[in-house]
Amino acid sequence: MGIEFHNVSKHFGGTLVVDDLSLEIRDGEFVVLLGPSGCGKTTTLRMLAGLENVSSGDIFIGGERVNDVPTQHRDLAMVFQSYALYPHMTIAENIAYPLRVRKLDKAQRTERVRRVAAMLEIESLLERKPRQLSGGERQRVALARAIVREPRAYLMDEPLSNLDARLRVQMRGELKRLQHQLGTTTIYVTHDQAEAMTLASRVAVMRKGQLQQFDTPLNIYNHPANRFVAEFVGSPSMNFIEGSHGTIGIRPEHIQVLTEPQDDAIPATVYVTELMGNETFVFLSVGANRLIARAPADFRAELESQVWLKINTDKLHFFDEKGQATDNTDYSPITRATVGHIDDAHNSYP
Amino acid sequence: MNHKGTKKTKRDFLSVLRVFVVKNLRYALLLPALLFALAPVYWMLTISLKTEVDQFATPPPWFGFTPTLAHYYDAFVTRSFGEYLLNSAIVAVASTACALVIGTLAAYALARFQLPWSLNRRLSLWILSTRMFPAIVTAVPLFLMMRDFRLLNTRASLIIVYTAFNLPFVVWMMRGFLAELPRDLEEAALVDGDSRLGALVRVVLPLVAPGLAATAVFCLIVSWNEFLFALVLTQTDAAMTLPVGIAGRVTQFEIKWGVMSAAATVAIVPILVFALALQKYLVRGLSMGAVKG
Repeated sequence: MGIEFHNVSKHFGGTLVVDDLSLEIRDGEFVVLLGPSGCGKTTTLRMLAGLENVSSGDIFIGGERVNDVPTQHRDLAMVFQSYALYPHMTIAENIAYPLRVRKLDKAQRTERVRRVAAMLEIESLLERKPRQLSGGERQRVALARAIVREPRAYLMDEPLSNLDARLRVQMRGELKRLQHQLGTTTIYVTHDQAEAMTLASRVAVMRKGQLQQFDTPLNIYNHPANRFVAEFVGSPSMNFIEGSHGTIGIRPEHIQVLTEPQDDAIPATVYVTELMGNETFVFLSVGANRLIARAPADFRAELESQVWLKINTDKLHFFDEKGQATDNTDYSPITRATVGHIDDAHNSYP
Repeated sequence: MNHKGTKKTKRDFLSVLRVFVVKNLRYALLLPALLFALAPVYWMLTISLKTEVDQFATPPPWFGFTPTLAHYYDAFVTRSFGEYLLNSAIVAVASTACALVIGTLAAYALARFQLPWSLNRRLSLWILSTRMFPAIVTAVPLFLMMRDFRLLNTRASLIIVYTAFNLPFVVWMMRGFLAELPRDLEEAALVDGDSRLGALVRVVLPLVAPGLAATAVFCLIVSWNEFLFALVLTQTDAAMTLPVGIAGRVTQFEIKWGVMSAAATVAIVPILVFALALQKYLVRGLSMGAVKG
């Protein structure tokens, strides 16, 4: 079911938590709300679920305005960060709860619980209580409770954040397959940009209650709308070189580190290197600027040693004084002023 | 050599003694409290089983007397203590049930909904303030009200009064238990399609059952033992409760110690059984929130 936010705002007392948010989510899409904590992404999800009132603006689900529809009649399913499993019920009873309140008869209930349990491979847990389960198992049960019926959309509030790193990556993949299989609109809240990039068909980046950019993961990464998005998405983060009229950004993978001087290369000093196994992060000093570059795993350099950088100038990002991206790569005040800083060190930089 | 050996045995003996004392220290510490608490019960129980001659013998025969059930027969067959027992049971159970239902709903509202003008705090204090004056102050007004409603000498009057007096306690206890419960669980129930009331009944209440049990025991004991209002509002066997009935055996001419003791002994039993049955919950309920998880 398609979901629309029309100029939605939310105040808590005097603080504006969500500021004039407009989003159009198409039927079947997997949309990730991404942002640092306190950016209003969870509040947005809770407003959609009806767990928070909307201060102003309208929310539509499948074309129906739901501002005044109570939670239980919105026909959504939600996975909570804490999983919110009912501790006094068995796993089977937990999963069957949405069916029980919909007065489905017992045979049908058992059948559907069994089917979902098989799908998520938790059949052996059905008679246990939540407290006897590990974090990963609880997570699956929470998912099972959400998909046991066919709601208009799934809402997920950082469902993977309480899992350890290995399990998180595994569940991330399964979640993607599951959504693909079910084809139900999913709104997923996270502060983890890797989850956003891997899961989403479109990512909505939020900051301080305002939508920064709403686009596909690839566009978010390659064409960030502003400095905040550029910095938040990507790990390690984008390098920024401040100028007097704006900022130039360059991703670590677009800086090549050379141990021998070469034409067009800028000299730099190695601050520290971090071997990640499959690659090496090289922290560099170029004049007053600090840059991070990605180098192959076999890259070796002494601390404080001299290296040379080759920057892929096609991949530069330009941001004006307000931090907004600008297409104008000839934005001469920026290029001159900032790159000039690097330029002083080596004349061959364009 | 020999000298050394004796010293060693002596030390062994001392250490064994020390272990014994430390191990049993808790019982030693509990003993005075237990004696202090149980002495009146023992006295009451023996008086109820003694003939009138043995009751007043000096020194009292502590154990060696011929027990008799005559006082029990007198109390429950000849006199109407059976009716008093029934009245007490009905009044205590009904008022506890009413106080729990009304109080838990109020506590839920106070714990979960943000009311305007900081009413949550003000209402809570207002509710508590009804316990801040001596109960006797309300005795005459309540008597007059019950007379006007033609409820004197009815169980209903006592049920209403006990419910009112237990409510503040229920609200404050349950508010604490409910506030401890994570909101996520109810919100999950709502998203799953349940109504507020359904979520309360199916998710919230089962989880605060220990708290409910602890509160129920307290209400029941208070109602069961209440004397003042029972005395003021009931004068006939139709609604008279055990405490009033027992006290009524103190007359101008004689004090029926045997009958009073027999009735009082019987009066202890239901509360004892109830408290034992709920003991498991009671401990959990009273320590709920002390340790998270």
